[in-house]
Amino acid sequence: MRNQRHRSGEAGFTAFLALCAGVALTFLAVPIVALFWEAPLGEIPSLFGDPVVLDILTVTAKTNLIANLLIIGFGTPTAYLLATRDFRGRTLAVTLVELPVVLPPAVAGIGLLAAFGANGLLGGLLKDAGIMIPFTEWAVVMAVTFVASPFYVRQAITAFQSVDPLLPAASRTLGAGPVRTFLRVLLPLSASGLMAGWVLSFARGIGEFGATIMFAGNVQGVTQTLTLGIYQQLNGDFDLALAIGVLLVILSGAVLLTYKLFSSWRSSTSI
Amino acid sequence: MPKQFRLTRAHRLAASGVILIILGSVALLLAGTRSTEATNVYAAASLRDAFQKIDGSDEIAYNFAGSGALRDQIEAGAPADIFASASPDEPQELFANGDCERPVTFATNEVAMLVPAGNPSRIQTVYDLETGNRKLAIGVADVPIGSYTREVLSGMGLLGILETNTVTEEQDVTGITSKVALGEVDAGFAYVTDGKIVADQGVRIVPLPAGSQPKVRYQICAVTRGGADTVGAEAYIKKVTGYQGRRVLSEAGFGLPPHPSPDGRR
Repeated sequence: MRNQRHRSGEAGFTAFLALCAGVALTFLAVPIVALFWEAPLGEIPSLFGDPVVLDILTVTAKTNLIANLLIIGFGTPTAYLLATRDFRGRTLAVTLVELPVVLPPAVAGIGLLAAFGANGLLGGLLKDAGIMIPFTEWAVVMAVTFVASPFYVRQAITAFQSVDPLLPAASRTLGAGPVRTFLRVLLPLSASGLMAGWVLSFARGIGEFGATIMFAGNVQGVTQTLTLGIYQQLNGDFDLALAIGVLLVILSGAVLLTYKLFSSWRSSTSI
Repeated sequence: MPKQFRLTRAHRLAASGVILIILGSVALLLAGTRSTEATNVYAAASLRDAFQKIDGSDEIAYNFAGSGALRDQIEAGAPADIFASASPDEPQELFANGDCERPVTFATNEVAMLVPAGNPSRIQTVYDLETGNRKLAIGVADVPIGSYTREVLSGMGLLGILETNTVTEEQDVTGITSKVALGEVDAGFAYVTDGKIVADQGVRIVPLPAGSQPKVRYQICAVTRGGADTVGAEAYIKKVTGYQGRRVLSEAGFGLPPHPSPDGRR
């Protein structure tokens, strides 16, 4: 008697789970499918000759390249410091580094304007130095760097912390200086974690919209990135907007795949 | 036994050299593209077709958006050389702050109600919207088309239709025209010039009663900021207010002031 009740309870519960999963997965899949369905897929290769698209791709490539160089260049030492040294205020520093992850991009945008705009906190200083940032390419670089850097730095901190501290210690004992230890011991051992973090920050940077449109504006050839291009073409050439959307879906898929590859590539971290 | 690797000074120099080369090429990439010499024209979205016809060369870089947004950008220090607005308010505000030269009226326009191809909601006059429950696209209050629309409707005592019909408030006229052209709304309030631009997508103009039109005045001015291209700006304004510019504007459906009015008061 009890067994029968358990069996039908089991089946009922599984059915409920399947139903919820079905709804959720369908909801997530429909916009992606619709995008590929509605977009003029055959015209996508010819897009690369369209001057509007070329401008969009150039701006996106340039700004993200510089932003990623900045993120890795400044982010790696920052992550190393936060991962291996303890100091007063370390918790605050880590919180500050993590903040842009939860901060709404629109807030980042208005914050950047409040800081670097002509009437902003540093506006007077910048004006005197003859530097203008808002609504220029550097504004895009700053917006992308601001929102994407925590994705790299957080992962880098974890990657550095996962290295067995005996190994760099051994390297120091054997006579290597701190820089050589960092370059020849720590970096190779944490490489997969760093790469995984970079992939996420790269994807976040490419996908940035809110902070960019508020701080850098949406001007073709100067500040219009892929996402801003979609927004512009929503009111212009809707088919073009769909096509750019398809491109970004493919790019995002490639990013996800790369991330999974790096995460699963594990190097030995203990002796 | 394999030779031990040593990070020598030579290696470090080589690495720094590679990094410098990468950074240098990046800087060149940045510097070597267009529009450092182009004149930057920030213009109301309703001028997108006409202005590009007046001067579509590489010398001019356009930024079309709602006039209010452009004013905000210029106030925040955006690198504009020219500002052309669909209403005198924005340029006069900038002029009062010393951000631009004295504005000049160069065109007029008329508010129009646009319906999608086939007019699916059977809207024959603006009074049909009194029954409510249609899908209407208008401009936000801060943008000239939004304020003109409210002026027209309040003049006819029909301001209430906005509450029962509006489904979207757009930042500029392209938002309104695209929603109408796509059939996402039953009607939208934009300019007659916009109706002409999207006529090839089947969009039709529903005429507003005579005498209901507000005074729609477009003004243009040269932005004063460090590093502004004043020569290019002056040349561009001459083009817009000159014979060829006026012809293009008139063909697009804009009205023209009798002659360029330098005091901005006409």
